[in-house]
Amino acid sequence: MTRPSPKEIKAMADVAGVPVSAEVATRIANSIGPAFEGFAAVAGTLPFDLEPAAFAVIQTAKVLK
Amino acid sequence: MSAEPALLSLTEVAQAIAQRRFSSREVTQSCLERIAQWQPRLNAFMAIEAEAALAAADAADRAPAKGNVGVALHGVPLAHKDMYYEAGKVVTCGSKIRRDFVATTTSTALQRLKDAGAIRLGSLQMAEFAYGPTGHNSHYGAVHNPFAPDHITGGSSSGSGSAVAARLTFAALGSDTGGSIRMPAHFCGVTGLKTTYGRISRAGAMPLSQSLDTVGPLARTAEDCALLLGLMAGADPEDPSAIAGPVPDYAAATREPIRGLSIGVPTAFYVDDLDSEVAQILDDTTAVLKREGANVVAVELPDQRQLTAACQLVLAVEAAAFHKRWLIERPGDYGPQVLMRLQNGLAIPGVSYLEAMRWRGPALSAHLAAVAGVDAVIAPVAPVAAPTIAESDVGNSPDAEAVIQRLTRFTRPINYLGLPSLALPAGFTRGGLPVGMQLIGRSFDEAMLLRIGAALQRATNFHKQVPKPA
Repeated sequence: MTRPSPKEIKAMADVAGVPVSAEVATRIANSIGPAFEGFAAVAGTLPFDLEPAAFAVIQTAKVLK
Repeated sequence: MSAEPALLSLTEVAQAIAQRRFSSREVTQSCLERIAQWQPRLNAFMAIEAEAALAAADAADRAPAKGNVGVALHGVPLAHKDMYYEAGKVVTCGSKIRRDFVATTTSTALQRLKDAGAIRLGSLQMAEFAYGPTGHNSHYGAVHNPFAPDHITGGSSSGSGSAVAARLTFAALGSDTGGSIRMPAHFCGVTGLKTTYGRISRAGAMPLSQSLDTVGPLARTAEDCALLLGLMAGADPEDPSAIAGPVPDYAAATREPIRGLSIGVPTAFYVDDLDSEVAQILDDTTAVLKREGANVVAVELPDQRQLTAACQLVLAVEAAAFHKRWLIERPGDYGPQVLMRLQNGLAIPGVSYLEAMRWRGPALSAHLAAVAGVDAVIAPVAPVAAPTIAESDVGNSPDAEAVIQRLTRFTRPINYLGLPSLALPAGFTRGGLPVGMQLIGRSFDEAMLLRIGAALQRATNFHKQVPKPA
């Protein structure tokens, strides 16, 4: 997973209905870039059948027995 | 027992009122006197409701305490982070946007404390919309650290940390989405419990991130946190994420010894790049655990940087979604730092967000497998003690962003995994700044953390240090 460029961020913010300036888009790119890089090893590797609800199942496995 | 009631712990003062050794009025007056003395220096309170508090105290003194759990906090004055809705009260959420917002409902956590007899002293300062780790607030001013007023309190529960440390309230609700209870506990020298995701209802608490938000107390001792957790935990029809399992006897857990328990010290990440004094305090704390009979062992955790990254993706998107309407209609009414953080969420694709959400289950499984041989993990809350307010002010210091990034490093992985973590005072730097350690447990095993925390506090005095007025 690569970090979005300022140009891509500007487009995404426009689509979200909250336009940002080119300067803000550059600032956002620098700010969130490390999160994309940190998650890169996981992104695109998750199995097909994995649902977000798996978290709650694992979390409560013991307490709700 | 102290002659100044405000200096007692929550547990002690609740017993003192129940046994008529102090009236609720005497206790409330003692807190109000300290608030009058400290508030100009700390800016910890958002609102002080002295007359109403004294009237409620008088009413409590007229009503006999029944001595059962329903009145466990009979006549005890408390103040909480200004994001817990109370019907008829202004709840600012630390913001300009909600400066005049009057809640029409009362949050479940607050109601349960009221049902237990607690009375209201006022409300406490916080980071704007709970979205800031330092204690700065561009609308209401920074909150100051009672041990060193030029230094930050940590956030976002800044007023809660400051007020509990200065003995202005016996305890305070905070909230923890990325470290917002544990950081103020660490920087201000108090005990803070980040609860398991789903342990306490969030109904009527201002949302920041629905997948990460947790409600929890800051107090003077692990015993006090146990008392409050026992009163607030449990199912709530208003919040389906609050689980319906049994609520353990947390107070009883604090009386259990820790001999024979195994406590893990991470081999990496939480021990990397520590300030030397923080590293020494970690060593000192593990030495105390050993003296108390615990086995301290090395534990190898999965890559915590990936957890931090996933937490950031989830938090940014969910916060932006909650705030989108105001981002469109009132962007100028946010402080600049909070606006910037909220804008970050606009740039994260939906698929990336959902991947981060889908990975939570496997990530939790991997963590639980890694800690299968220990009862809890101990780690610093942050690699440093409190920086100054000036050096962590993004608007005034070019290095502030780097300073802030370092503060949240050790807290966010725990939020992503939804685990409980108890932060407690563990020492002081040579400059007199508090340093805290966090005990990290398994999902819904707060009892184990409170047991270990209480044992540590029986063996040390760091939680009893009271800041002195300058």
